[in-house]
Amino acid sequence: MDQAAIQTHGLARRFGDLIAVENVTLTVTQGQFFGFLGPNGAGKSTTIKMLTGLLEPSAGTIEILGQPFSSTALHLKRQIGVVPEGMALLGRLTATEYLRFVGRMYGLDRATVERRTEELLEFMQLANERRKMVTDFSHGMQKKLALAAAVIHGPKVLFLDEPFEGVDAIAAGMLKTMLQGMIQHGATIFLTTHVLEIVERLCSHVAIIHQGRLVANGSIEALRAGVASILPGAESGQRLTLEEIFLSIVGAGGGEPVQELSWLT
Amino acid sequence: MADLTGPFDTGLASAGPGPFNRLARAQYAALIAMRTRIFANNFRTSAGAFEFGARAISYFIYSLMGFGLGVGAGSVAFSLVSHNHLHSLFLEFWAICILWQAISIALASLQEHFDLGNLLRFPVNFGSFYLLHLIFGLVDVSTLAGGLSCLGLLTGITLARPDLFGATVIALLAFAAFNILLVRAILAWLDRWLAKRRSREIISAVFLLATVSAQLLNPVLREDQPFTHHHHAGGPRTGELRPWVNAVSTAQAWLPPGLASAVVGEADQHDSTAIAASLGILGIFVLGAGGLLGIRLRAEYRGENLGEAPSRSKNEKREAAWHIAGSGPMSAEIEKELRTLFRSMPQLYAVFVPMVMVVIIGSLFRTGATAIAHPFRLAIPICVAYGLLGFTQLIYNNLGAEGKGIQLVFLFPVPLRTVILAKNLFHGALYIFVALVSGVLASLRIGRPDPDVIAATFGWLTFALPANLAAGNVISLTMAYRVNLGRIGRQSGSQANALLSMLIQTTILGIGVGVISLCNIFDRLWLAAPILLALAVVTVLAWLTVLRNVDAMANARRDTLIAKLVKTE
Repeated sequence: MDQAAIQTHGLARRFGDLIAVENVTLTVTQGQFFGFLGPNGAGKSTTIKMLTGLLEPSAGTIEILGQPFSSTALHLKRQIGVVPEGMALLGRLTATEYLRFVGRMYGLDRATVERRTEELLEFMQLANERRKMVTDFSHGMQKKLALAAAVIHGPKVLFLDEPFEGVDAIAAGMLKTMLQGMIQHGATIFLTTHVLEIVERLCSHVAIIHQGRLVANGSIEALRAGVASILPGAESGQRLTLEEIFLSIVGAGGGEPVQELSWLT
Repeated sequence: MADLTGPFDTGLASAGPGPFNRLARAQYAALIAMRTRIFANNFRTSAGAFEFGARAISYFIYSLMGFGLGVGAGSVAFSLVSHNHLHSLFLEFWAICILWQAISIALASLQEHFDLGNLLRFPVNFGSFYLLHLIFGLVDVSTLAGGLSCLGLLTGITLARPDLFGATVIALLAFAAFNILLVRAILAWLDRWLAKRRSREIISAVFLLATVSAQLLNPVLREDQPFTHHHHAGGPRTGELRPWVNAVSTAQAWLPPGLASAVVGEADQHDSTAIAASLGILGIFVLGAGGLLGIRLRAEYRGENLGEAPSRSKNEKREAAWHIAGSGPMSAEIEKELRTLFRSMPQLYAVFVPMVMVVIIGSLFRTGATAIAHPFRLAIPICVAYGLLGFTQLIYNNLGAEGKGIQLVFLFPVPLRTVILAKNLFHGALYIFVALVSGVLASLRIGRPDPDVIAATFGWLTFALPANLAAGNVISLTMAYRVNLGRIGRQSGSQANALLSMLIQTTILGIGVGVISLCNIFDRLWLAAPILLALAVVTVLAWLTVLRNVDAMANARRDTLIAKLVKTE
């Protein structure tokens, strides 16, 4: 049996009376490219924050690489890389200085930090901008830098919260290649994004969270087969897109949708 | 061409120009409603209610101080007018004017800053933008102190001579308007200059020159005073400077404080033409200050963003060729702190301006302005303590500048203790450096201190540094607020932090003052150092205890901390 890279059991998070995430139990095996989907406010970022130690769960357990994970598990933090919501950049450092800082904080020696910083800047096509302060970067460049920082220490598990948002097509293609390369070398990637085409192309497995609860979990093929069998009007043999699967599971929300705006017609 | 009058027409789009048209009035109403909601929503959380309480207490304290100034100004004015010394009133107007401007500049880094840039996405006209900038800026210490001083002045003059009430009110209104506009203009331009590298260098040079000039000018002017330490043989005498003094006296009469006081004098002589002329020139100054502010605000209105420094040319070499030795997290953190500090002029301003002010305070002690017959023996420790005021934000909100980067602190495989220790070591080293420079600057002005005074100052520093660091770490974790490194002013949501940090600093200072003063009174000043060093053992232990518990404290408040520092307003 494949070893689990990420495993949660009964994971929950409440903010006062609001239940943001409830009873999430999932397993991501090592080497898997895992897509974590859900509509806005479904609990994706809250879950990723709990999985990376940025947020204390109200209930439930997390295991990373087979070991219990908490915010104080520093040995496990060395094994994970994160592009969090908001990117966690330091605006007053240059790209080079930022990567050096992050590398050193992950305990890499200076020579390794220097070498990897150079490689990453070249790979991310940021080499010509290395002396610009991060605050002067465009949004897409900041995303690339955040991703570079997340992988500088060679993590075994990578958490990516909307990594492709604001990134141009060329850079996105390059990043996808890099991520697929990491998967081939045994890394595990946990990805949240609203761009379903990317998930369909990259991920082997997906989970869908809706209103804080996990409503689907499995391989894309299994979900496709499951949805096709129950979806009214789906012709036999028709290959459903991930978007169709997603919409059929999550739906358009309760109630009669408003079709038009009164003052725009 | 697209027809924009269709579904998008709100009915107020063509409401006419000016800050009081229908659209503008609707926008003010919306802003008032929004501020009211924010005010009410504050009470939904205990932190918000605490913040409001802190703000109320702060303004009560500021008002008391302003009231004291007002009573002082009123008493002096009453005395001058009663004794028919109206010609000397200009001194009071000048004192208030200088105080008004100096407070705002000296406390710029402690004042809350309102960023109205968010309003620019709405159809807000420039007049409204200008007006809102003025109104939001009114809620500060300098306006409170200056306004109450003017009120005191009015009361004093009116009590002595009720017939001067009308002219005094008009003169003071124009005078206050000038000061308010000038303060706003200075701060707006300062923000702009500090955001640009070349201007930063020019300002630094001007500051340095001003300090050196003050150093050189003061001994020359005080040459004939009996307690001079450094006698400059052959230097110019006051008599030789008399023409200069006369020229300055004439020139001041054409400047706003001189003009405002002239209006009162002219009212005494029932010279309406002169009153009108003085008020007219004063009005030109008001318009000038308003225009200066307008030029700056116009640029902001057009979309200039000072929140972050404007970028330099692409490939300009930015990285200094230096590194802190070692490859571990501690050196990485210290290096990052150092680079960040030196790229944020507002933070440097906060740290180094009190040090420059030490020269002025030193001069006060030296010239006998404190009404003491010889230089105050304990002036040096006072100057050193004052020089350290600029550390309030750095030490008591040591995570504030991380912004969104705060998430890194919790993602790294490094205990938070290491990060906080690195920050403490960096701030501690800077603290000692600033204390040393403040001490040297003060000594240059006041004279070489006794060994007992040096020892007592050293003792106080040894006691105060760990005490500040310990308290600063706790407050930083419990009352953090996001710092915009490109702006001078404090950010919103920082009142509770400001109040508590000032109270703690005052207590630490008070303990030092108490110990040193008692030892001085009993003529045992040598005893102060060992007492303070003994107290330092307690504060060092407190600091170590806080450091030991920093991870637990941070983890307990992690959600709030991240939410506060990551959020953008």
